[in-house]
Parts: sequence; structure tokens; C-alpha cells
Amino acid sequence: MATFMKVCTVLAKHKKPLFCLRRSNLSTTSVLAAFWNKDWKPGPIPRTPEERAAAAKKYGLRPEDYNALADGDIGDYPDLPLVARSWRDPFEDYDLPGEKRNFGEPVHASADIIGADLWDPNADGRYTYGQMLLYCALTFFGFLTAFLVLSPYQYFPPEMPKQYPFNNLYLEKGGDPADEPEIKHYTFKAPQE
Amino acid sequence: MGNMWYSYVTNPDTAPDYKNPPTFDPLFGFPEGREERTICATREELDRAKVPLKKRDYCVDYYMKFLECRQKHFPRVWSYCHHQIHEWEHCQIEDTVLRVKEWEREKRLKERAKRKAKAESMEAME
Repeated sequence: MATFMKVCTVLAKHKKPLFCLRRSNLSTTSVLAAFWNKDWKPGPIPRTPEERAAAAKKYGLRPEDYNALADGDIGDYPDLPLVARSWRDPFEDYDLPGEKRNFGEPVHASADIIGADLWDPNADGRYTYGQMLLYCALTFFGFLTAFLVLSPYQYFPPEMPKQYPFNNLYLEKGGDPADEPEIKHYTFKAPQE
Repeated sequence: MGNMWYSYVTNPDTAPDYKNPPTFDPLFGFPEGREERTICATREELDRAKVPLKKRDYCVDYYMKFLECRQKHFPRVWSYCHHQIHEWEHCQIEDTVLRVKEWEREKRLKERAKRKAKAESMEAME
């Protein structure tokens, strides 16, 4: 009994009981208390400081951090810095470790293309633009050179042209009946008498 | 194998012209003669069967048999006529083999003509 009590005490110290876990709604959008799809729609672009403050609060941002996209069709959605998921600290204690994201954190408008295994806009490219152009041109002109050099040397199977009856179909192909040539074709066997 | 190398690099002078018919006498080297290639069908039969010009080769008899079978058994063509189809395809293969033999004959005769010309020129020099 003493052992059981000790186990319970240690577990209670190191583990939160199930009913203590926060059961909040970890939604993927920062707009809370949304019921229907119209509630997720962004509002009109804010013009006055009061509207900016209201929009910043709506997206969980400080008003000085809030910067609405000037143009585009996403209204008052904030213009967040384009930071790839792979640049975030992997050892931080996130609410959503898989997405490296905390609860209520605003999502970038292009979040679907900057995932951890996707495009990283801050990474240095493997090749410079000059190298890309060079390799592209090398490939193109390599194939072009091969085509021009090898054009006179066409591949052919070791066969003579196909033989057709009726003098190689002279009349069928629209030849003049007056000067029809007589073309005979032979097998390689001796004639059977 | 190596026909491209032979025709374009090592012996372009004796390589046969694969776009034109053979240049030598077809009966040269055949003391007993050669069997002539013939077909049984006539022009009128081929026209009546509407055989396209591409198929009017020396296998057209097998093709006509296949056409008859197809007309009889349509639409179960493969079930009833696969023997005819197979025979026609085999005839096409044999036709290709004959063309390859003609290519080889043309090549060897050209090499022979070159050898003879060279020997004659050597004799003339002596």
C-alpha cells in the first residue's frame, strides 16, 4: 500500500491529471468564435487608426505590428513577414509542434507554400541566376549541336526498300499506263518445276 | 550490329543505299534461277475489298483471308481469326527477312566489285 501511494504521489508530481489539460479549441485560424464561413472572411481594408486597432486585435496582433496588405482581395488580413517554417526554433515548446505554431498565432496568407518541407524564401539558392542560365543554355545548345552534327547520319535498319506487286503499284500510285515499267521481285529459293 | 558504323565510318563506299532498290542483276549468282514473287489476288479483287495501298504487298493474300474471316465473324474477330492474323504477321516477318537478305547481298556484291576493280588496277600498274 505504501508503494502504491508513493507511485501515485510521483505520478501526480510529474504528470498533469487528465482533467487538468487545457481543452481549448486549437483552430488553425486566429479569428476566434467563428461559426460559419462568412465569419472567417476578412473585413474591409482599415483606413482610420481606430479601424486599424480593431483589425489588429481581431488578428491577435499589436497595432504597431499590424500592416494590412494594400492591394489584393484578402481585405484587412495582415501582411506578415514571410518566414519559412524551417527557420523556427525546433526545440521551442509549441502548442502545435508539428506546425511549429502557438495557439492564436496569425497565419501568413501564403502559409501553404512555406511549410517545413516546402519552399524556403530565406534560403540561399544552390545556383546563381547566371549558373542557371548557363546550364540551361548548355543543355539547349548541346542538344542542338548533337542534332546538327548527327542529322546526315540517320539510323536505318539494314533493309532494302519494301517490294510491292504490280510493278511496285505503279498504276495504283497514279503512274502513266503508257510507260509502265516491268519490275520483277524474286525470293532466294530456286524455282520449283 | 555495327551497320551504322560500317555504313557511315568504315565503308561508306560499299554500303548499300537503303532508300533505293538493288542495283545489281537480281539473277546474278543464281545458276538455277530464282523463284519469282507472286500474289494470287488480282487488281479487281483488291479494289473490291478496298485494300489500302499500304497493305497491297506480297502478303496481301493472307490479308484477304483475314478480311473474309472478319466479315464472317465480326465482332468476335480475335476469337475466330487470330490464326489468320498470325499468318499475316508471320508473312510480314518473312518479307522483312527477305529485305535484309537483299541488303546483305547488295553489300557483298558491292564489296566484290570493289575488290575486282582494285585487282584490275593492280594488274594495270604491273
